[in-house]
Amino acid sequence: MNTQLWALAVAGTVVLAAAGLEAYRSARARRLAAGSTSSPAAEPYILYFTGENCTVCRTHQEPALAKLGSVRVDKVDAVAERELAERFHVYTLPTTVVMTAEGRALHVNYGYAPANKLDRQLAEARGGLTLEQTATA
Amino acid sequence: MALTTVDHSALKVNQTGIVATVLVAFVGSYFYRPLLVLIPLLAVVLLLGTFAPQLALFKQIYFKVLKPRGIVKPRPVQDRPEPHNFAQGLGGVFLVISSVFLLPVPVVGLALALLVAVLAFVNLAFGYCLGCQIYYQLGKRGLIRA
Repeated sequence: MNTQLWALAVAGTVVLAAAGLEAYRSARARRLAAGSTSSPAAEPYILYFTGENCTVCRTHQEPALAKLGSVRVDKVDAVAERELAERFHVYTLPTTVVMTAEGRALHVNYGYAPANKLDRQLAEARGGLTLEQTATA
Repeated sequence: MALTTVDHSALKVNQTGIVATVLVAFVGSYFYRPLLVLIPLLAVVLLLGTFAPQLALFKQIYFKVLKPRGIVKPRPVQDRPEPHNFAQGLGGVFLVISSVFLLPVPVVGLALALLVAVLAFVNLAFGYCLGCQIYYQLGKRGLIRA
């Protein structure tokens, strides 16, 4: 069993190290991307970085964005629009950026972001209520 | 490149097959060491399936047995098969490396095989496909036609 236990320990260490590196990379990219600017708009909006090869974008992220209702979502092909993707340090797809009306990145989500998380971030960008709270108010 | 329809149930069956085979080899080899041969066999299955989809064992089990009998329901999604094939091929390559290490340094061989199983499980359970992300990064750098 020694071989199996050692193999488990080696694989576990690699997985933990990879998870740690991913957390560090994500935090660093978020820090660098926060405050980046794009075009201003009347309301807070979402920059949604996607690509043809992104399955999670179609199966998870797009249904989540559809739940946000009338919020403006600017879909960006991260491969075609490389410069914009670099500005927001997009290293994984999907990536969603919650922009304030002034065109400043407030929150950057690398990987799938569920609708309630985006809703909370948009509410912060509006400085007001979430969509749910607006509906019940 | 145009999107086509990819049956995600076939992908899930494939990932389940990978996880199950590696686990059987990992646990079973403690009791019966020749079961380690499942790892190079799995490498061959994955690599063959990458280049000739009709030879993808687990997907064929899905299409010929599980789907027609209604055991697993189809889940067609507008998608591209290339990133998934790339991820499968990458898994196959890692299992080949694992197989090379199995006899001289079994700890390394088994650890590599376990990593492939962990990644297949993460894809199965959470929909996160590391191979697909690598495919995106290579495409972004113009190293493959993405």
